[in-house]
Parts: sequence; structure tokens; C-alpha cells
Amino acid sequence: MAVTGTLNCQAAEGLLGAWCDGELKVEQAEQVKRHLAVCPSCRSRRVQLERLDNTIRAVLQRKAQEVRFDLAWAGIEERMAEKRSWAARFAERARLAFEMKRLRWAVSVAAVLLIGILALPDSYKAWLFDPGGGRTRIDSIDPHGRNVAVFRERETRTTVIWLFPDEEWDDEVKEESVSNNHVL
Amino acid sequence: MKNGMMKLKRNRFPIITFFSLAWLLAAALAVAQAGEADSPRAIQLKIGTILATNQGKNFDPRLAPLKSQLNVFKYQSYQLLKEETKDVAGKGDAVFEIPGGRSLTVTPQEYRDDRIALKVRLTRGDQPFLDTVVRLRSGGRFLLGGPAHEGGVLILSIGASAQ
Repeated sequence: MAVTGTLNCQAAEGLLGAWCDGELKVEQAEQVKRHLAVCPSCRSRRVQLERLDNTIRAVLQRKAQEVRFDLAWAGIEERMAEKRSWAARFAERARLAFEMKRLRWAVSVAAVLLIGILALPDSYKAWLFDPGGGRTRIDSIDPHGRNVAVFRERETRTTVIWLFPDEEWDDEVKEESVSNNHVL
Repeated sequence: MKNGMMKLKRNRFPIITFFSLAWLLAAALAVAQAGEADSPRAIQLKIGTILATNQGKNFDPRLAPLKSQLNVFKYQSYQLLKEETKDVAGKGDAVFEIPGGRSLTVTPQEYRDDRIALKVRLTRGDQPFLDTVVRLRSGGRFLLGGPAHEGGVLILSIGASAQ
């Protein structure tokens, strides 16, 4: 295998395809050109590649003539112009939104947000989950047979528990008090 | 003619999925721990005993912070009889003497998400008047009124703050 300048045959052969397509940088193209000038085997390889390229191009052009591109383009334009139903558009968007690669990031973002919320101080958490101002709540109430009312003062949102007087019980207490005083 | 080989994309799927699942697990653990009730801290209880009557038109200036709340009762005169503050630590309770031979027992039960659960019992001697469990925000208060006293009614302002 001949070694010419800084490019050997193995390296030149690897770059031949790109050189034929004009895809090499200027310096690389010059190196390949210099190598081809002095290397008959690589020149022969280049001729083979060009013949193969021409053959394939001719076949493709022949085949392309058989394809009705005008009809294909017309079909594409017609599909682009047609209005899809809102359901079809929604289904398409939903399919794109729930693609796996988007879901991966959504899961990470959701987890970070959740941790951030849970790390908030308690007072901020309470405000967030109870924006109604942290109303006082009565979990249970037992007035032991008396009448009771529970209401919330509208302006200040103060909860009020009101015990209605139980006249019978209050009278008994008064009588007992009077009796005790009399004994004393 | 292109002579390039297809460059295989590095498969990053396992790394991203691993970190996503790790974050999710950490979040789930944090949620589980947040769900547990906090052990009760020291709770400061503040009880104000107010006498509301229709005799005269006096408003005790010390009740200025409660003026808007007390207006809902439509009494003519409000007087602050006494105000007490007690700290309760752990699972203890505090007993407040209320005029008329009554007593108010307040037991903090739970502290979670800046809200305090209070068990409140109003008694007269051995007779229970009212048992209730109230959940309020730390620093908040509620009113308990109705017991008759000296021609008017008593209104108790019951507040609690976590220390």
C-alpha cells in the first residue's frame, strides 16, 4: 500500500465518497486530490465509484419518471388544506403530549414541584391548600342536651358557638343556691 | 455518494428514567412523612372572659381587637372581666375558672399544617355544659357564648398559638 504525503491509501479510500460528493473541507479535499495524482490504485477506485454513482443515478431517474409526483403533491396539499374535526385534532395533540420522551421530563418536573411544595413552611402550605383563610372547623360538638348554634361571622370569619340558656337547669341551680344560703 | 456510516444515538433512556423514578420515590417518601401528624408542641392558650349586657352603653377599650366580632351579638355593653394565658406542653391541658362557678378545660390534641385541634369542655361543678373539638389555625380564635351571668351573658374568646 503506497503512502503519499500525509494521506495513505486507507485514509484516502475512506474519504473518496465524500470527496466525490464535494463534502470535504478544503484542506482534506486537497490532500485527497494530491494522493489521487500519485496513486493509480486509488484513481482506479475513484473511477469505479463514479461509474456506480452514474448507474444508480440513471436507474433512479428512470424510476422517478414513472412516479406521478404531481398527483402525490396534490394529495399532500389536499390533506393539508382539509379541516379535521376538533376530536381528531385533540386526539393528535393528546398523542403528541403523551409521547414517552415528553412524559419522562413531565414526571421529573412534577416530582420537583411536589418536593418544593412539601418543603414550604407550614404557614405557606396552609395558605396554599386552604386559601379560604384557614377557617376554624368544628370537628365535634356535644351540648349535653342543650340547644346550641354554630355560625360564622361574615366580616371577620370568626366562628361562634352559642349555647342557648336552659331555663330549667338554670332555675334548679338558683334554687339550690338560695337553699344553701338559707341553711348557712 | 455518501460513505458515512449511520451514527448510532446514544441511548439516554435508562439514565433519565432512573433519575425520574428516583425523584418520584423521594417525593412519595416526603408525602408519606408529611401525612403523619406532628407531635404536639407547646401551645399557648389565651382565654378572654367577656360580659355582654344590655345595661348601659359601654365598650371596654381592651376589647378593641374584638370589636367587629362582638358587634354580631347586638348587645349594648361589653366588659372584659378577665384574660388569662397558659402554656400547655405535650399532652397536658389547661383549666380556666369562669365566673359563675364554671370552668373551661382546654386540651390541645393535635398540631398539623399550622392548625391546632383543641378539645374544649365547659362545666359547672361536675355538670358538663359543652364538649367540643375545634380545629383552628395557629394564632386564630373562636368565640363561645351564652352562659348567663349577672343580667347578661358570658362570651369566651378562646385562642391558641403554637410555640
